[in-house]
Amino acid sequence: MSAREAKAAAAQRGRFSPWAVVVLVVAVALPVVPFVAGVSHFVLSIFMQATTYAIAVLGMVVVLGYTGQINLAQAAFFGFGAYGLALGTAAYGLPFWISLAIGVGTAAVAGGILGLTTIRLGGHYLAMITISFQQIFDLVAVNWIEVTHGPDGIPGIPRPSVFGYALTDDRAYLLLCTLVMYLLIAAVWWLPHTRLGRAMRGVRENELAAEVVGVHTLRVKVTAFVLSAALGGIGGALYAGGFAYISPDNFNFNRAIEFLSMALLGGAQSPFGGALGTTLLILLPEWLKEMPRALQFIKDVYLAIYGLAVILIMVFMPEGIWGLLKNAWARARKAPPAPQVLRVKPLDLDIRITESTPMLRLEGLQKHFGGLRAVDGVDIEVRRGTVHALIGPNGSGKTTTLNVVNGIYKPTAGKILIDGDDVTPKSPHERAAHGAGRTFQNIRLFPTMTALENVIVGAQRDNNPIEPGHQALRNRALSALQFVGLADKAETAVRNLPYGHQRLVEIARALAGHPKLLLLDEPAAGLNQTEKMELVELLKRLREGHGLTIFLIDHDMGLVEKVSDRITVLNFGKKIAEGTPEEVLRHPDVIAAYLGEPGHATA
Amino acid sequence: MPLLELRNVFSSYGSVQALRGVSLTVDPGEIVTLLGANGAGKTTTLRTISGLLRPTAGEIRFEGHPIHQMAPERIVRLGISHVPEGRRIFPGLTVRENILLGASSRGRIARAQLEEEAEQMFGIFPEIKSFEHALGWTLSGGQQQMLAVARGLMAKPKLLLLDEPSLGLAPLIVQHLFAAIRQIHQRGTTILLVEQNAHMALSVASRGYVLETGNLTVQGTTHELLDNDEVRAAYLGGHQAA
Amino acid sequence: MEALANNLQVLFQGLALGSIYALVSLGFVLIIRATNVVNFAQGDFAMLGAYIMVACLTGAGAPYWLAFVLALLAMAAFGLLFNFGVYYPLRHRSFLPVLISTLGASIFMQNTVLAIFGAQPRAMEKVLNFDGLHVGGVFLDSQYLVILAVTMVMVAFQYFFFEHTLVGKKLQATSQDKDMARLLGIPVALMIAITFLYSATLGGLAGVLVGPILFVSIGMGSIIALKAFAATIIGGFGDVKGAIVGGLFIGVVESFAAYYISVPYKDAYAFLMLFLVLIFRPQGFFGEKVSEKA
Repeated sequence: MSAREAKAAAAQRGRFSPWAVVVLVVAVALPVVPFVAGVSHFVLSIFMQATTYAIAVLGMVVVLGYTGQINLAQAAFFGFGAYGLALGTAAYGLPFWISLAIGVGTAAVAGGILGLTTIRLGGHYLAMITISFQQIFDLVAVNWIEVTHGPDGIPGIPRPSVFGYALTDDRAYLLLCTLVMYLLIAAVWWLPHTRLGRAMRGVRENELAAEVVGVHTLRVKVTAFVLSAALGGIGGALYAGGFAYISPDNFNFNRAIEFLSMALLGGAQSPFGGALGTTLLILLPEWLKEMPRALQFIKDVYLAIYGLAVILIMVFMPEGIWGLLKNAWARARKAPPAPQVLRVKPLDLDIRITESTPMLRLEGLQKHFGGLRAVDGVDIEVRRGTVHALIGPNGSGKTTTLNVVNGIYKPTAGKILIDGDDVTPKSPHERAAHGAGRTFQNIRLFPTMTALENVIVGAQRDNNPIEPGHQALRNRALSALQFVGLADKAETAVRNLPYGHQRLVEIARALAGHPKLLLLDEPAAGLNQTEKMELVELLKRLREGHGLTIFLIDHDMGLVEKVSDRITVLNFGKKIAEGTPEEVLRHPDVIAAYLGEPGHATA
Repeated sequence: MPLLELRNVFSSYGSVQALRGVSLTVDPGEIVTLLGANGAGKTTTLRTISGLLRPTAGEIRFEGHPIHQMAPERIVRLGISHVPEGRRIFPGLTVRENILLGASSRGRIARAQLEEEAEQMFGIFPEIKSFEHALGWTLSGGQQQMLAVARGLMAKPKLLLLDEPSLGLAPLIVQHLFAAIRQIHQRGTTILLVEQNAHMALSVASRGYVLETGNLTVQGTTHELLDNDEVRAAYLGGHQAA
Repeated sequence: MEALANNLQVLFQGLALGSIYALVSLGFVLIIRATNVVNFAQGDFAMLGAYIMVACLTGAGAPYWLAFVLALLAMAAFGLLFNFGVYYPLRHRSFLPVLISTLGASIFMQNTVLAIFGAQPRAMEKVLNFDGLHVGGVFLDSQYLVILAVTMVMVAFQYFFFEHTLVGKKLQATSQDKDMARLLGIPVALMIAITFLYSATLGGLAGVLVGPILFVSIGMGSIIALKAFAATIIGGFGDVKGAIVGGLFIGVVESFAAYYISVPYKDAYAFLMLFLVLIFRPQGFFGEKVSEKA
C-alpha cells in the first residue's frame, strides 16, 4: 500500500489508533529530555548503547525476521563498522564520515559473501557458516595485533561534526544516534511494503514457491544479508564514535547471540519489536540493580534466565512481545477491513497466438533418481492455446515430469522448450520470466501474507507485461483475485482461508504473472464436489479464447475429461497413450494401467 | 462380530477433508480390498485405522473395542499391523534385523523363538532368504516389499493392513507377491488390502469397497465388482450423472 | 630424528584432542540422526560435566572414581531433562525454533554455571598420578593416554551397543524412520530420551577427560562444540563413523597447524576447514550428496 492509501485506509477505519499517537509523542519527547532535565553521563551511555545496538538488531529483523535466514555473525558486522571507524579516524586520520562509510562498506561486502553461501546451503549449514565467520572475525580481532591492536583495543576515537558543529556533548551525540535509529526504523518498517520486501517475505514463508513464482531467491537472500550487515556496520560505527574506545570482546559470538535474543524477545518480524527487545535487554540489568536486596540475586542469574527465556519464547511466543501485542490488538479489532474494490479492471489474460508451433515441447525427457527411472524417455507437444492433461497411475512419473518442466529438477537427459526457447538450463524463476506459471499439489502459499500480497508477488515476475509502479501491480493482483471470485478476501491472511479458497488464491497468483503457459499440479486435490465443479468452470473460463496454454495433472478423470483438449498417459515413466479424452479414457492399455490386466481374477 | 468396523469416519490432514463419513467392516478370516484412484483417501483410511491419524469424527472398533483415540504403539499391540505405502524398510539395517524388529510389539521373546519365526517368514518369501544379511537399501523394490510384509507379519497380527503393495513393481513380481498374500491369508490372517490395481486386488479378495474423494461409492463381493462400470468410472471418469 | 620425534609428538597430541572432538561429535550426530535436531548446546554438556567433576573433587573432596561416576550420572540425568525441556515441546516445529532453543539452552547452561562457580577458570587434577611416558624421544602425557584409551573403549562400546543389541537396533530404526518404528510398536519417545541421555553422558565424559588439559572454564564448551560440528560435517553430516574420523582429523590438522603455522590462530583452522568443506564439498567425506530440492 502506498502512503496515501495507508492513510486513506486508516481514515476509512474511522479512528486513528491512540496507540500510535502515544508512541509518536514519546518518540519525539524522549531525545529532548536530556536537554531540559539533568541526566547523568551513565544514563546517556546506556541509551547510546541501546540505540546503536538497536540499529544492529534492525539488521536481524531484515535478515531473520523478514527473510527467514539465520545469521549468527551480526556482531562481526557490528565490529566491521566499529573497527572501520576506529582505524580510519584514530589510526589513519581520515574524517569521521569517510571512515564510517568504509566500515559499513566492508561490512556490506562481508554480508554479501555470506549471503552467497546460501546458493548451496541453508538451515543448519548456514547457521554454522555464520558462526564460523563470527568466530574467525573474533580470532582475527584478538590476534592480528598489528592492525586491530588486539585485546588492547583502539582508544581515542573522535566524535563527528555535523554542519560544523562538533558533537562532543554526549546529549548531542545521543540525539544523532536516536535520529539515525528512527530513520532506519522507518526504512525497515517500510521495507515489507516494497517489491523487495514482499519477495523477502515470500522467501521466508515458502522459498520454493517464491522461486517458482519468479522471485530471484538467491539475489533476495544476498540482499538481505548485505542490508543486515550494513545496518550492523552503522550501529557498530556509531557505537565506536560514542564510546571513544573499542576492544574485541564487544564483537564476539556472545554479542551475536545477544543481538539474536534481542530480536527474538521483542519480535524479529517488526522493527518496533527489535527496538523493544533491545531496550528491554539493555535496561533490564540496570533496573535489576535497583531492586530490593532480596531480589538482588536475580542480577547474577539474569543472563541464565534470559537463556531460558529464549527457549520459552520459541515454545510459547515465537513472534516475540511485539507479536503478542499485535495479535491481541488484531483480535480486539476483529474483522479485517474490506478493500475498496472500486473499478477493478477485468483480468487481462490474453496471449496472442501468432504461430502454430507448440507452446511446450518435451524432447526425450529423462529423469533418474539413482537407479529409479522416474521419467524414461518422454516426448510431449502441447499445442498453443489448448488444455493438455498428463495422467497416469500412482508412481508413473507425472509429478516428476511437471517438476522438470518447471525447473525444480534438472533432467538427466532431454530438452524442455517453452514457446520455442530452450529453457533446460534455466532456474525456476527464469522460467517464470519466460511466462510459465505454476500451482502445487500441496498448496504453497505464503501463509502469513494476505491474499493480495500473495498474488502481488506473482505479478512481480520479470517481464510481466504491465505498467511499472506499485499501482499497476496492485491492480493486476486485484483483477486476478476478482477473476477467481475472491476480491473481497484480498486483505485476509491466507492461512485463515478455507482450503478451497487457498487453492483459488494460488491460481490467482499464477495468473497475475500473465503466463503464456500455466502448469497445474493436481488442482482438484483436496477439493469437495462443489469446489471441483467451480474449478471446472474456472478452467473453462481460462480456456475460452484467451490463448492461454494449460498443462495439468490430475486424478479426477471427470474433471480432466471436461476441460482437456488432449491427454497424455504415462506409466512407469513412459508414454503409453495420447489423444483426445474419448480416445484415451477408453483405451485398453490405459484401463489396464489403472485397473490392472483384466482376467487376473482367474489366477 | 466384525473384526474391524469403521462407523462414519471423518479424517483430515491439515485443512483437507480426506475422509467424509466412511463406514466399512472386515470380518475375521476375510480379505477385503479398498479400491480407488489416487487421492481417493485409501491411504488415509489405513493411517486412521493404525493411529497415525486421529479421526475428526466417527468411530473405529477392533474386536468391539474403540481404538480411534489410541496411539499407534498401542494399536499394534492389540493386533493390527500396518504395512505402509512405499515399503519403508529400514535402509541401514539388514533384512534379518528388519524382520526381527517386526516383533517389537510383542514384548520380550526368547531369541531362539524369534529366529524360528524369522525362518518361517523366509519360508513364505524365499526370494529374500539369500539377502538375509544385506542392508535394506540394497534390495530391489519387489524384495523390499516382500521384506516389509514379512516384517509386518512378525507382529503376529490378527489384522494385516497392506497399503498398495503392488506400487511401482513389475507385473511378474506382483504375481509372486500376491501369491504370498494368498498364502498368508490361508494361514489365518485377516487382511485389509488397499490397492490401485483393482483387478489384482479382486483376484485375492472376497469383498471390496471403492473410495472416491473420501466417499465410499460402491461396495460388494468380488463378483459384483469385477468388470463393474462403476469401478472403472471411479478411476477413469465417465459417471452417468454429474 | 628429532624432527620425527617432534612430529610424532604433535600427532599424538592431535589424536588425543581429536578424540575429545570425536566424543562430542558422536553425541551430536546421534541426536541428529534420531531427531533431526542440531544441538548447539552439545559442547556445553562437556563443560557441565567438567564443572560437576570439579565440584565433586575439590568442593566435596570425593575420591576420583566417585566424582567420575557422579559426574556421568548427573549428565545422564541432565540429558533426560534436556530431552523433556528443550526437545519435546518443540518436536513438531520447524528447524529454526528448535535451533534457536538449543542456543538458548546453551546460554542458560553457561550462565547458570557462571552464577554458581564464578568466572575464574578452574583446574582439574589428572586421572593418573604420574606425568607420562617417555617413548623414544616422544613424551606421552598420561592424560592424553587416558583420553585415547577411554575413547577407544567408548568407540568399541558404541559399536557393540548399536550393532549387537536389540535396543541398539531399535535406536537405529528410530533414527531411520520414526513413524515406521512407531507402527512396529517401538517406543519412539523412549528411544529419543535414551539418545539424549547417552549423548549428554558422552559430552560429559569428554569434558571430564579434557578438563585437566584445557582448564575448566565457562566457554570451553562452545569452542569444542564448534569443532565437533566441523567434525560432523567434514565426516559427512549424519554419519556416525564420519563423526569419529572427522573429529580425529580436525584434532590432528589443528595440532600440526598450530605447531608449524601459528598458535594464536589455532582455533581458526577448524572454522576455516569447515568453511571450505561447506562451500566445496558439503557432503563431507562419507556423507550422501546434499539432496536436490523436491
